[in-house]
Amino acid sequence: MQNAKDSFYMALRTRLTEINPQRTILVRGTVRPGILVEEAEAPFSQFPSDVFVLRWLGLAVDMDLASTMTGEQCEIVYQTCGTQSFGGLDRGRALSTMDEELMAMIQPFYTPKLNYAATPPAAMLTQVFWDEPVFSPIVTQRDRLSRSATVLVYSYQEQGE
Amino acid sequence: MAATWFSAPAPVSRRVRAFFAPVNRAAQTPVLFDPSEQGWFSLDAPPAPWISLGWVQDFVRKTASKSAALMTGIPAAPLEQVRETLEAQVSLQFLSWTKLTMGLATGSQHMNILAPAIGAAPAADGAQASPAVTPQSGSTSTSILLALTDAAKFTPGAIVAVDADYNGQTGYVGTPVAGAYVRQVLTDVDYVRRVTFNVALVSQVTATGLNLAEPLPGGAPATGAKVQAVTGFVDREGGSFYQEWSGLFVMEGSQGERIFFHYPRLQAMTGAEEAVSPLNQKNQGGHSRVLLKGQFLALPVMDPLDGERVVCYRSFLPAANALV
Repeated sequence: MQNAKDSFYMALRTRLTEINPQRTILVRGTVRPGILVEEAEAPFSQFPSDVFVLRWLGLAVDMDLASTMTGEQCEIVYQTCGTQSFGGLDRGRALSTMDEELMAMIQPFYTPKLNYAATPPAAMLTQVFWDEPVFSPIVTQRDRLSRSATVLVYSYQEQGE
Repeated sequence: MAATWFSAPAPVSRRVRAFFAPVNRAAQTPVLFDPSEQGWFSLDAPPAPWISLGWVQDFVRKTASKSAALMTGIPAAPLEQVRETLEAQVSLQFLSWTKLTMGLATGSQHMNILAPAIGAAPAADGAQASPAVTPQSGSTSTSILLALTDAAKFTPGAIVAVDADYNGQTGYVGTPVAGAYVRQVLTDVDYVRRVTFNVALVSQVTATGLNLAEPLPGGAPATGAKVQAVTGFVDREGGSFYQEWSGLFVMEGSQGERIFFHYPRLQAMTGAEEAVSPLNQKNQGGHSRVLLKGQFLALPVMDPLDGERVVCYRSFLPAANALV
């Protein structure tokens, strides 16, 4: 299951660098694409703005198949205060931009499954796939707008997983 | 060299993609799909002459073939089975309204509403049309060269129909798709352009002609073809003509596997019908999407492999490394 989670994240990260290479974050002294996995970073006191944060939540398993199928619920959280140059008055537009980037990142709705524990990452036999995201309403907290999108990520367990 | 593998469960697919190709009605020749040579084609760029009609929904295929047992002995017991009838149907909903989807989803001929001549008497299929203009040599499927005065009759955003004048012929008419069957001689010189599928949107008008936003389905205008402005489309409940197309439906699985349903001959079997789908299921009285419903009867072809009569081919291309 970890391979599916890693593959989903890396697919979105790779796509984001093509969609908007300017969306970056400085983490532990390194500039990276602006998309993180919450459980793979130091705990946040508050989510960083203007980046996408992936949170893995629910898990469902169907073991009555030729290969066990898992469905993992991923919540993608993002928020923005807009830009300083516009005094934050562009925060609605900034959030819409992130909505559009997320919709673009999600497509196509599949990616090859790779084992990122190996160096270089090892290609596996199946693909990870997912449904359309379900977007939550915008949450306004003072000058901060945030939203989340939930995606169900499916994969098949392979030998050795 | 060795391969590893996995046990693939039943395919998981999101949607069905539809492709259609015109049957040569005069020669009664359908378009064949060869999964061995064409199975991995890009769904966004189907091999000619297949035309993508995008995603469809509520795709249902139904066999109506009937088998019966040959009974022998006392008491009678089945000796073997025989196929008494061969029949299959396909139904779906198109997610867009285009010339082609409308044509497919109507049971009879589908007509272009030609721009009317000034002062023409009203008619249900569109009034007498303003005169057609003749493309010049050198025209292509995306660029129609015209005289300056002829080009000035069109505007960007207009739709044009490109086909020959009607000259009193009977039988199938229309290029590259038979748009109608003329049973008796007609008088409308524009009739072929009324029923032709050779239409496109004008993206730009220049001093030398028209640039088209999409290629004409029939390619470069043929000798004798003329160009006429189209303002819309009309079809009728009734008539004796049945559309016939080759159909190819593709389900792409989550692991890259593909399921093809190839119907060499599909005829529309119902009149024009729509399905209404509310955009917001919680607000049934709000905006609704109007979808074209298509229902088709599959007609048989003879498979040259063994001389059997069949109506549909189902092909399955497994995912890479999947056990079979």
